[in-house]
Amino acid sequence: MSQYNSGSDSEHCNERTSLMEVQVDVRSGVGEAVTTQRVSRSSGRRSQQIQENVPDGADRREAGDGGEDHGIRHREDEEEEDTEMTLKYGAKHVIMLFAPVSLCMAVVVATISSITFYTEKNGYLIYTPFHEEGASTASKVGDSLANAAIMVGVILVMTVFLVILYKYRCYKFIHGWLILSSLMLLFLFAYIYLGEVLQAYNIPCDYITLAIVMWNFGAVGMVCIHWKGPLLLQQAYLIVISALMALVFIKYLPDWTTWFILGAISLYDLVAVLCPKGPLKVLVETAQERNEPIFPALIYSSTMMWFVGMADSDPEAKKKKKKKKKRRGDGDAQGAAPAGAVGGEEEGGFGQDWNESRGFQPTRRPNRGGNASDASVNSEDARQAAQNLSNGRLSPSGNQQQQQQQQQMEEDEDEEERGVKLGLGDFIFYSVLVGKASSNGDWNTTLACFVAILIGLCLTLLLLAIFKKALPALPISITFGLIFNFATANLVTPFTDALASQQVYV
Amino acid sequence: MNLNRVKDEDKLELCRKYYYGGFFALPFLWLVNVVWFFKQAFIRPAFEQQQEIKSYIIKSLVGCILWTAVLVTWMTIFQMYRADWGEIADNMSFIIPKGIA
Repeated sequence: MSQYNSGSDSEHCNERTSLMEVQVDVRSGVGEAVTTQRVSRSSGRRSQQIQENVPDGADRREAGDGGEDHGIRHREDEEEEDTEMTLKYGAKHVIMLFAPVSLCMAVVVATISSITFYTEKNGYLIYTPFHEEGASTASKVGDSLANAAIMVGVILVMTVFLVILYKYRCYKFIHGWLILSSLMLLFLFAYIYLGEVLQAYNIPCDYITLAIVMWNFGAVGMVCIHWKGPLLLQQAYLIVISALMALVFIKYLPDWTTWFILGAISLYDLVAVLCPKGPLKVLVETAQERNEPIFPALIYSSTMMWFVGMADSDPEAKKKKKKKKKRRGDGDAQGAAPAGAVGGEEEGGFGQDWNESRGFQPTRRPNRGGNASDASVNSEDARQAAQNLSNGRLSPSGNQQQQQQQQQMEEDEDEEERGVKLGLGDFIFYSVLVGKASSNGDWNTTLACFVAILIGLCLTLLLLAIFKKALPALPISITFGLIFNFATANLVTPFTDALASQQVYV
Repeated sequence: MNLNRVKDEDKLELCRKYYYGGFFALPFLWLVNVVWFFKQAFIRPAFEQQQEIKSYIIKSLVGCILWTAVLVTWMTIFQMYRADWGEIADNMSFIIPKGIA
C-alpha cells in the first residue's frame, strides 16, 4: 500500500500502495450484529464480500417470508446481481483512475518538455550521497545501488516510525507532520514551479500579484485537502501536488539512481503490503481495527456518481457494494491523519507520507464530510436497518414511503461509496517514471511507458477485484514501465530510426 | 465530499464558513463557494436554509467579482507601465523578462 508519508522523502517511498476493497455496509449501524457474523477479518464496519452477504440477506428474507423457495430465488438473483456488480465495478473504476493518473503524468511530461529547470542537475538530496560522477558503468551502477539502498532504508525507517506513532495514537504529531508536508508542497514547491514557468515563457510578474495568487492557491488547497471541499477541486489539488512532488524527484535524483529507486520501491511496496509483518499492512490493519480511515488528506478518491441500476433498490443489495480504496490520503480528516509527507528535511518530508499514501485500499465511505454528516449517515443506516429488520423483508415493493426515502438515500450513498482510492505515492512514482522517460526527449519511449503504466494499473485493479484486500499498486505498473522504457529506448527507437532512414515502411 | 450526503444545516454551516474564510484575502474561496453551492441555492426546490445560503452565495459572488476587478486592473497597469516605471518596477518584480525592455 502506498502510505502517505509526512516525513522525509524516503517516507513516501516507504508507504506502499495498497489496494484494498472494502464492502460498504450501508446499514452498518444496525447491521452490526449481522455484519459481525459476516466479518471475516477485520472488525468494525468492514463489510464482507458480496458472496458472504448473499446468504445473510437470503436468511433474513427467509425469516420474513417464511418461504424457502422464495429465499432461494432471491439468493440466486442476488448472486447474479453481485457478479454483475463486481464486474461493472471493476471496469468503471479502472476508467475512473485512468483520468487522474494520465493527467498527472501529462502535467509532468509537459513540464519536463518545456521547462528546462527540472532537467538541470543543480544539486542532490541528502538521501543520495553518491552522485554518479565516475566514468565507468560499474561505478555508476554501484553508486546507484547504494543510493537506492539508502533511500529505501530511510523510507523503511520513516514508515516504521509512522506506524509506531499511529499505534500509540500520537495523532496530533502525525496530523501536524501531515499539515507541514502539504504546506510545503502547496506553497514552496508551487512557488518555485510558478517562478520557473514564468521565467521559461518570459512573462513579467510582480510580487503583489504573486503573493495574492500563491496565497489563494495554497490556502484553498489546504482547505480542500485537509478539511472539506468539493470533490473535483480536491482531486485536482491532489493531482497537482503529486505532479509537483514527481518533478522534485526527477530534478534532484541522479539519473541511474532514479531507475534503481523505482525498482527498489516497487519491491519494497510488494513486501511491505503483503508480508504479515510489513509496516504498511500493520498500519492498514490497525486502522481497520480502530475503524478509522487511514491517513486522510493524502489519498486520491474517485467516487463514482454512477447509479448501480438496481431497479428494486434493494437495501440488501446495496449493502454489497464494494469500495476500493487506494490508500493515498483521504480527504476526510478523521482520526489519525498520518498521510503527512513533509517532515522536516528538505523535500524528504514527503517521502514517508507519499509512501504511505500510495496504495489501494477500499474504504467504507471515501468522502465522509465530517463527523456531523457521518453521524447523520450512521443514524440513517441504523434507522433503516432497524426498520428493515423489524419488517423482516428487504424488497422495496410495498415499502412505506419512509422506507423508500431511506432507500433512496441509501442509493445515493451507495452510488458515492463505490469509489476507488489510490495513494498519492503511486501517482508520484508513476509520474516519475514517465517524466524520466520523457526527459530523454524521445516520444516513443514516453508513450510506451505511459501505456505500460496504465496496463499495470488495470491489472492491479483486476487483482484487487479478485483478492479483495489491500494490494500494492506499484509493482506491476513499475515493472512494466521499466521493461517498456528500456526495451523501447534500446530496441524500438533504433529500429524505427533505421527504418525511417532507409525509407522502409512496415 | 459529496453534498448529497450532508444535512441541510451542515450545508449552511459549510457555506457560512467558506463565506467568512473568503474575507482573509481569498477571493478564490468565494468563487469555490459560489460554484459549489450554486445548485443548492438556485436550482434545488426550496428548503429551509435555502434563503440564507442564497444570501451567502450572492455576497460571495459580489466579493469575488470586486477582487477580480481590482486584480485585473492592477495587473494591466503593471504590465503596461512596468518598463516606464524603471527602478520601482524592478524592485516590485518577481520575474523580470530577459531580452525585452
